[in-house]
Amino acid sequence: MALGVYLSRCGGLVDAAIDVDEALANVREVAAVACVVDDVFDPIVVAAIESDIREGGVDAVVLAGNSAEHLSKSLSAGHLTRRLVSAGVNPNRIVVANLLEQVALAHPGDRIGATRKAAGIIDVAALFATMSPEVESIDLEPKRSVLVLGVTTEAMIAAQRLLQLGYEVVIADRGNGSATAASATVLKSTSAFVRGHARCKFIDGARLVDGDGWLGDYHIQIQSNEGSRRIVVGGILIARPDSAEWVAELREHFRVDVDDDGFARPLDPHNHPAETIDPGIMVVPVRVDGTAHRDKVAAADSVAMALVLRLSQTTVSHYGDTSAVDEALCGGCATCVRTCAFGACTLDENGRSHVDVRRCRGCGKCVVSCPVGARDIVSSPHDYLIEAVRSLSRVPVDVGHARVIGFLCGGCGYPAADAASEFVAQRGQGYPVTFMPLRIPCGGRLDTLYVLEAFKVGFDAVCVYRCRQGHCHNLIGNLDMDRRINLLRAVLRSRNIDDARLRIVDISPTEGERFVESVEEIYVSIASLTNGKGAAV
Amino acid sequence: MSKPTLATVSLGGCEGCHVALLDAHEGLLDILGMADLVHSPFNGTETIPDRVDVVMVEGAVTTEEDLRRLRACRAAAGTLVAIGSCAVLGGIGGLRNLSPLSQVTHVAFGDTTKSPLLPRLLPNVHAVTDYVAVDISVAGCAPETELVVAALVAAITGQPHELPRRNLCDECHRTKNTLLMHSREFVSDAVYALMELDHIDEDSCLLEQGLMCMGPMTREGCGAKCTAMNVPCRGCSGPSRLDFESGGKAVDALAAILPAGALMYLEDLIGTGYRFTMPVSVFPAIVDTEESDNG
Repeated sequence: MALGVYLSRCGGLVDAAIDVDEALANVREVAAVACVVDDVFDPIVVAAIESDIREGGVDAVVLAGNSAEHLSKSLSAGHLTRRLVSAGVNPNRIVVANLLEQVALAHPGDRIGATRKAAGIIDVAALFATMSPEVESIDLEPKRSVLVLGVTTEAMIAAQRLLQLGYEVVIADRGNGSATAASATVLKSTSAFVRGHARCKFIDGARLVDGDGWLGDYHIQIQSNEGSRRIVVGGILIARPDSAEWVAELREHFRVDVDDDGFARPLDPHNHPAETIDPGIMVVPVRVDGTAHRDKVAAADSVAMALVLRLSQTTVSHYGDTSAVDEALCGGCATCVRTCAFGACTLDENGRSHVDVRRCRGCGKCVVSCPVGARDIVSSPHDYLIEAVRSLSRVPVDVGHARVIGFLCGGCGYPAADAASEFVAQRGQGYPVTFMPLRIPCGGRLDTLYVLEAFKVGFDAVCVYRCRQGHCHNLIGNLDMDRRINLLRAVLRSRNIDDARLRIVDISPTEGERFVESVEEIYVSIASLTNGKGAAV
Repeated sequence: MSKPTLATVSLGGCEGCHVALLDAHEGLLDILGMADLVHSPFNGTETIPDRVDVVMVEGAVTTEEDLRRLRACRAAAGTLVAIGSCAVLGGIGGLRNLSPLSQVTHVAFGDTTKSPLLPRLLPNVHAVTDYVAVDISVAGCAPETELVVAALVAAITGQPHELPRRNLCDECHRTKNTLLMHSREFVSDAVYALMELDHIDEDSCLLEQGLMCMGPMTREGCGAKCTAMNVPCRGCSGPSRLDFESGGKAVDALAAILPAGALMYLEDLIGTGYRFTMPVSVFPAIVDTEESDNG
């Protein structure tokens, strides 16, 4: 395995806070390439990385700089990833080390501590890049058809655009949608065009009862006044994001972010108001009463275009972020079957666990519940996470300073840690630098063994971050984690170990201030504890 | 050419693994036909020879004498075979690690001083693997006779030895019903102690009936004899991945499928999840430091 590490200065922000050469010192011993660049998105840098891949044999890449969340949302980052994949690196071996938001901006004024932490985070990313298995892609031709949920003015405009571009449209409404559309008083011609179109169907009184699949190929079972029917579409538009019922039904099968009312919430309301987590499902922004028609038209056009851009590709590749089964280990105890919230796990005729990849979301609950290690998630393998805990424990800290590990759920804690950089900038003071972040895909992925390992290797406390009630992208990953952690706390107490060393923090992705407070709280609460500290071994 | 030599050694334990070996009856003749038994509790020789092809070790390292003998075994052995959960995982005697040594000796010997002729106890019970490299491990309390014999035959003949890797559910005859249904409800309404139930269904999964069964967390190989007799698995064979903590995995697997009552049972997680694996678990490491911090 030839590892390439590219540390981005991020326009000078990173090297303002850390010593970049020092941060790369450890990884230089194992990496084939380890260099500092101004910006990984710069075309010259991208070309240089491509050349390292094609000519230098680099097959695992660490991009140290911007946050993983930033990279997953940014179009230029998507472009960068595609370039590296086409040059020959497996997507599971392109790994981000978040130095900007969670180190450089989080710890101003502590250059030594921040540099050590940066080195630790790069080491963990290098572990990921070299330890994770290659993932195979599932390639498909996207279906040129779209399901629109709910009849609104925006829905009709978006449907019109899609029909004009040659797409099929199914409009499902909880009530009598076709009558609502027929009685439209504004944009009458749009409504008439859509209703009369040969490639458009209305389903009234609709309930979404089942679904599986992904961008380009969703299979959806709808119960309606006319009975039950199964439709196949390439994408979904949620035209009634304010319908808690639609959103709840969708969330049983697909990834949609929600707000406090249970309504569909765009992941990034400022830059991409249409995008949910699942790339084939879009939120049509519904404007408040009194919104000018031109704004509704613009919003509907924008969301239709966002979906068309994805569905107009000749091939969509899905890199299975799914659970895998090692049949040599699976004894068929069925804990994974019961634990899976999406019905993706079953036992096959031989009594071995089987994963329906079209339903699996890669949350990792089945991996945690599997007592023999027969399950693993390709994008967060067990062996990597255990090794990452050990690796983070080796980051040097000054004598007398406590070290804490934070397991950050990718849906809440990790973006909150990114958001914390803004709060740090506001108050001009960082949080304790010995807090070590480790990203996990879902709170439900937190294995008790990782917590035990963290204590064993000498962390003074363990913080686990999970989504607020009802907000978990995997429905109950957060509650599952609660049960495990609360049980473990009871066990710690029974062993005379203070359970204040193990803390659950519920958090939303934008709550940077809360993140900082939670970190500072744990340092305060463990400062007075003397018992139960682990030992580095 | 002379036959390979075999020694069997018992450290801190109940010698049940030797009894498991004796249970092979005529099968023992096959082993003795293949190898010369040069040292064992059966034949009464005192010292371990300097060179033995295969040494079978039973029991945990509990005293200084155990440790001395274990090191002698390793030095002598071509192939070292650890038999039983005491040797491999520390075993049930390892629960002594929960208490400080002074308390242990007080309970055992009262105020009287124990004889200086007895070996000195180590502060903690350890698995054999804590001190020496082991070539073949067969956990179980005690392991099935066939597993013991198969491991010894493999060691004597120099064949690679594979233990089963799946969990006990693979061997258990019971059928699952509610565990196979996708649901966010628990598989049972409550969790019961064995004696609380008037009737235990003989064919359906014990976990589904609300009994704490360690089957999912336990390596197969014993033939699931306990569950066949309506007794939940206690996990004596330990986890099928030795780097997994059976107690930690009990939390992970059972917290997801059993209701809160299970968690109350699990509060004695040490007795439930670590009954046979305490010395190889992470918990003693935490407790050790606690003691050293305080004293």
